[in-house]
Order: sequence, then structure tokens, then C-alpha cells
Amino acid sequence: MTMKFAGKTAISGIGATEFSKDSGRSTLRLAVEACDAAIQDAGLEPDDIDAIVTFTVDVNHEIDVARNLGIKELKHFSRIHHSGGAACGTIHQAAMAVDSGAAKNVLVYRAFNERSQDRFGIGVQGRAPGPDPIDVDFGWSSPFGLLTPASWVAMFATRYMHEYGATSEDFGRVSVADRRHAAKNPKAFFYEKPITLEEHQQSRWIVKPLHLLDCCQESDGAQALVVTSLERARDARHKPAVIASAAQGSSEDQQMMKSYYRDEITSIPEMGLCARQLFEDTGLSADDIDAAVLYDHFTPLVLPQLEEFGFCKRGEARDFIADGNIEIGGRLPVNTNGGQLGEAYIHGMNGIAEAVRLIRGDSVNQPETIENVLATAGTAVPTSALLLSQDR
Amino acid sequence: MGDAALLERMRAHVGSRGKGQPARDPVNQAMIRHWCDAMHDANPNYTLPDVADKSVHGEVVAPPAMLNAWTMIGLVDRAAYSDDSGPMSTVLRELDAAGYTSVVATNSEHEYERYLKLGDHISGTTEMIEVSEEKQTALGIGHFVTTRTEYHDQSGDLVGSMLFRILKFRPGTGRFPVSEEGGDPAPPMRRPRPGISQDTQFFWDGLREGELRIQQCTECEALHHPPMVRCAKCGSYDLGHRVASGHGELYSHVEVHYPQIPMFDYPLTVGVVELEEGTRLISNVVDIDSDHIEVGMPLEVAFLEDGDLTIPVFRPARPPRRETTLRFDEVEVGMELGPCPIPITPTLIVSTALASRDYQDVHHDRDLAKKRGSPDIFMNILTSGGLCARYVTDWAGSNALMRNIKIRLGAPNYPGDCMTMYGSVKSAEVRDGAGIVVVEVRGTNRLGDHAVGTIELELPTGSGA
Repeated sequence: MTMKFAGKTAISGIGATEFSKDSGRSTLRLAVEACDAAIQDAGLEPDDIDAIVTFTVDVNHEIDVARNLGIKELKHFSRIHHSGGAACGTIHQAAMAVDSGAAKNVLVYRAFNERSQDRFGIGVQGRAPGPDPIDVDFGWSSPFGLLTPASWVAMFATRYMHEYGATSEDFGRVSVADRRHAAKNPKAFFYEKPITLEEHQQSRWIVKPLHLLDCCQESDGAQALVVTSLERARDARHKPAVIASAAQGSSEDQQMMKSYYRDEITSIPEMGLCARQLFEDTGLSADDIDAAVLYDHFTPLVLPQLEEFGFCKRGEARDFIADGNIEIGGRLPVNTNGGQLGEAYIHGMNGIAEAVRLIRGDSVNQPETIENVLATAGTAVPTSALLLSQDR
Repeated sequence: MGDAALLERMRAHVGSRGKGQPARDPVNQAMIRHWCDAMHDANPNYTLPDVADKSVHGEVVAPPAMLNAWTMIGLVDRAAYSDDSGPMSTVLRELDAAGYTSVVATNSEHEYERYLKLGDHISGTTEMIEVSEEKQTALGIGHFVTTRTEYHDQSGDLVGSMLFRILKFRPGTGRFPVSEEGGDPAPPMRRPRPGISQDTQFFWDGLREGELRIQQCTECEALHHPPMVRCAKCGSYDLGHRVASGHGELYSHVEVHYPQIPMFDYPLTVGVVELEEGTRLISNVVDIDSDHIEVGMPLEVAFLEDGDLTIPVFRPARPPRRETTLRFDEVEVGMELGPCPIPITPTLIVSTALASRDYQDVHHDRDLAKKRGSPDIFMNILTSGGLCARYVTDWAGSNALMRNIKIRLGAPNYPGDCMTMYGSVKSAEVRDGAGIVVVEVRGTNRLGDHAVGTIELELPTGSGA
């Protein structure tokens, strides 16, 4: 075991707001509501919380969240960079804080009005150019009209299709599976609204080769979780979701959303790096994983994720999916909550909550036997991944 | 619908022929060379005796698309040299007098009996075929006038013929009003500006000078893009740059449909281009129909001015000229010729107009072109035909024999645009022992289709070619 916290920490509480297109409330209110719910779910009082971890891009200050919840003292507070790539990284950070003794109960949250206030999908054309590295970086893409996350991801998709013969329908099957799962989830945007592959194919182009139904719904909402030691988690209201391992990854010539300069761009080496760490840390392999919540802001990058974790060989994810493996009852049920395509886009954090529910046994699409669940974070950015297990 | 009496007077000439119009000079190498230079046509059978002597012709020949260039009058008093009493001249005078003073050619159909050789002295005889009723067109209100000219050589043998249609129209009655002086249009929306640091300034400076620069380590010569501050290969901070050739291929691409912002035309093609030097960059793929864009296609850089910024964009690379001639049995119906961009510069328009001895002011004088209702000078029809011919013979090889060219013109080629040629094999059949291939061609610019037509070729059938 390479990571000290592995198997010794757990997620003890989860809490979320409703997911919507217009929350009608401030992002701080969303954050506090979700945190409040997570603390209650963990069976704790606000004052039991002594640390907070969130995303660098979250606009809600830890101190404001603490003040509103009535948390008096924080002994650790830190943030994880790189947008949706931070999701499992927050759990990684929280677990390290707990294991090191820096904190006992770490509150993790992500809250935004990403639909009604700050839509990522409208593009970055409004940025004032400056000499800071982030704007120099946008300088290689924005003058050409490559301005949105969909367009950045679509570039990988075209190359993947070219090299492996994947088609838009192969991407569409991810969307259809997510929507089938979401249809049973009352919390999902698309509750009782499954789609067919034909509807996917007929949906309008956003950025070719991405159809509208290859893209997640932009969402308002918040998700919070509580990370604590396995021992303390055993005293909580629900059974612990053991953090078997968590890892971050950034690989050679890593760029934000546009790692187009590597020898090849059809794999996700930073996700492969996470996979390697999770498996080395736990001694588990793809065969041991019973379900997965794979980051699906856009369908195409779900395919190489399956390949990076070894669920199938390179270029064969389309067959793995077409053969029904990602369905409920399949080899690897994926995104049982409906994913970000079907439930909501909460920057991957709602996916971690679903992984916890799968361990607890109360997913709306609960498979029969669950020992180990994989959750992943944002693709095309420096990323992270998480392996949750039953307490044995 | 126009002046019935005028139409009747003009139509009285239908069926009548003018006197023969002899070429002012015999077919000669100087005019051929000027044409080939202006058209960027490198077919060696037109200019290189050593090659031409061993060709299917056995000697230097003129590009067949030059057919009517030989009998063009040139920059002299028309009355002194041309058949001023012929039906064409008479009808044109009638139209000028009635206010249809602007002219644009719309159709040209060449049939070739044989290739012209140095020293051939040809003469053209024109017959009035048709004068249309007055019509409203995109360019203006006018009449189409159709003629047919037969070309004979010094022995009186028919060497070729041309069906030709022009539109004579009233300036200012079409889509483009006659421009008034003053009042610049609102400045266009600018593209998002790049953030530039000390480390990346060289890249943007280079573009302004027409150079696509790649960062290069001065120590180990490794190339980096996006630029770095320290060479990760050797550790040097001493970083310079080299100038890229501008050639590369498309590594990946997307077509942006949504959201749309005002400074771009949608759908917008953005690609990752792998330069032949090995580095990649994000850019736009321009001047090509989206259904012809594919991973791996060869590209070449072009420089787009956007206010104070110069942006590198890529268009399809001009396909290389085929060194050997395609054999008939290598051709299949439906075969694509591959896109070929032709940047429309003022130099191209003017030099090709003069190379074809076409001194119509609309092809070289912007002020007069505007007075005649055009937003700028535009390409003449002989050049459109010449470029279609170049495109097809570059694909087929220099010993492919052109039997005819039939083109119809649409959107004019104005300076600053780019015409991209597309072609496909429409039919391939053996006729009287000859392998006859008909190629459909289309030259498209940013306004629409400039030229659409067919070219009939005879290709060698045996293996001896």
C-alpha cells in the first residue's frame, strides 16, 4: 500500500440541493444547504467539522460556509485546482488531512449556479487578453473560435474516431445509457425522460462531431460530502464508504482541455496515471470493480476512460459499450444516477455521492452485488479518481 | 419587359455571321509563356521543347484554353482591327446605346479539333446565336447575347469552336449598387485577442511579417509549441525560433455550430494542424467545403489580417501536378480530384486578363469596375476556363488531351477571395478506340459557385503511356 490513508478513511455523509436550471438562490446558500445536509447525513453537528476542502474555481469561501453553518474553528482548508478534474482530488486531499491528523471531519463541497449565472458553455471569448499564463494559453485557441468545453473535447473525439473507427452512434450509446438510468432517478433533470439512439443522432450539432445529446446539461446545484476516519465513520448513521484509494494525475505535456500536442491524443494518460495508482494501492484490478461513475461532461471521453482502467483494450470501448456492459445488469453498470448527462452537472461531485450510495446499497439503480466502485473526475484536464469499497 | 423594338432589331442578326477575325499574331511562345506564368500552369508541353518533343504532341503546343485569346484584339482601337460591321459588334452597340453598358461573360464552351502549335495562324468567325429578352439578374437588368465562333487555321481547317454567352446589363440595377465615395462601412468585429507574454511575442510578431514561427532551442534544436521558457529536453533557456515551411496536415478538426459569436462565420472549422516540422498548432481550416475536410489532408498556411493582428489559417494544399499521365484504365466514375485552392489576388486577376489579351476595364481598373456596378475588379472568363483546365490537366497529366471545356459562371472572383476547385469523374468510356473521360469541375468562392462545368479528356488506353 503506497498511500497511508488508503482503507483507513471513509465518506460518512453526503448531501445535496435539488439540481435545476435556475436555483433562484445564491451559490453560497446552495453550498450551505448541501453542507448542512451532508453533516446531518453523517450524523454530526456542524461543530464536529474542523476542515474544508473545495475546488479552486468554487466562488464560495470556506469561511463564509463555516460561518453560516456555525463551524467555529477550521484547522485545515485547501482547494484543488483544474475545474472538474478536482472532484476526486478533494476526497484525496480530505483523506490525507484526516490520516495525517490535521483534521477529524472534513467537509467537501462544490456549489454553483452554472446554468442561471455562469454558464461555461457560452465560451471564453470575453476574457481580456493579458500576459498571464492562462491568457497566453487561451491565445493558442480563442483567436480561432475554439472557445467552449464542447469544442475542446470534440477535437479529441474526431481523432479518436479517425484512429479507432468509432462513430457518433458509439458516443450516443453512452448518452442513451445515462438517460435510461436517469429516467429512474427522481433527482435527475431527465427523470422519466429516456432517449433513443435515433433521437441522439437527430439532435442538433453543437460542435461536430458532438450532437446536443452528447453534452451534459448545465446545472445549478450543490453537492457536499463528509470525509472522516474509518473508525469514526463506523459510528455514523450509514455504513461507511471506505476510501480504498484516491489519486490525482497530470501527465507529460499536460494542457488545460487542449492537450493536443502529445504524440497521440486518443488516450487519457493522466487518467491512466490515476488508474495505476488506485490499482497499485489496493491490489485490485478492473475485474474487481463492480460499478463506475465515469465523468461524462461529454460522451466521447467516457470511451478512453474505460480503456485507461483496463475494462477493455485500446479502441475497443465502443464494442464494450455496444455489448451492453455499461447497463444495469451488465458487467460494469456505469453512471447509475444518470451521470452528468442525465442527472446534473455538478462538476463530478454528484457522481462521487452516487458512488457512496452504491456502496450503501441505496442507488435508484442498485446492482445486486457491490464491493468496489470507481468514480472519476474531469477529463482533458489534470484529473483524479477514487475507489470506494465496502467496509470488511 | 424591356424595349420590344430593340429586341427585334437585335434578333434580326440571329443566324448571321461576321467576317473572319484573324489573330494579330501567330501562335507564339511568348504569349503562351505569359499565359502559363499568369495561370501558374507548369504543364511542360506548353513551354519546354525538350519535354514537348517527346510528348504526345511531338512539339510545343498552346494551352487549348487559350483558343479565343489568339483572336482577342488587345489594347488598340477596336474599329481598326475588328469586324465592326459584324453581328456581334452591331448588337453590342445597340445595347450600349440603350444603357446596357456593363458586360460580364457567363458561359463559354470550347470544342477542340486539335492543339495549336507554334506558328499556327488562326482566324475566328462569329455567328449570332441568340439574344435573350430583358432579364433581372443578380448583377443587374440586361440581355444575354450568345454567339458561336469557329476558328480555322492558315489552311482553312477547323481547329476549334466556342459557344459564348455574355450578359450586357445596366450598371447599378443589381445586387451591388454603384458605390458612392466616402463613408467606410462599420469596422468588423474582431476575433478574440491572444494573451501575449515575453515568451510568445515572437510568434505573433512573425505572423505580421508573413512568417509562421516555431520556437526552437538554440542549444539542442528541439522544437516546441506552444512555446516554453526552458527547453525541457536539454535545460537551456536560450530559445530562438525557426520559420515553418507552412506545410502540414490536418491532425484533427471540429465544426463549431453553437454558440455563435459575431466575429466568426458558422459553421466554423477549427483544426489541429501538424506541421511538417513536427509541431502542432490550433488553427482554422478555410476555403474548403466542410464535407471535403478529413484528417490527414495536406494543408498550407495563409495569413489572415484581423485589424492589428495577423492570424495563421490553413487552406488545402494545391495538389501536386501529376508527372506521368493517368491511363484510362486507372480512372473510375466518381473518382475525386481533390480540392485545389486558388487565392484570388489582384495580380492574378490582372495578369491573367492581360495574358488572355482581355483589356476590359472591369478586369484591371477598380475605379471603372465600381462605376460599372461591380464592387471591385473581377476575373475574366478565359482565366476561369484556363484555371479549370489547369486543375484537370494537373490531375490527369500533361499528355491528357483536352477535347472540350464547358463552363458556366456564377459568383464573380473578386480580389481577396479564394476559389477552391473541386472535381469528380462523371463518365469514362471508350469511344472510337479512345478513352474518353468527362470530369465535372466546380470552382467555389466565399460568395458561391464561381464556375461550374465539364471538361472532356482523352486519356491513353494502352500501357505505353
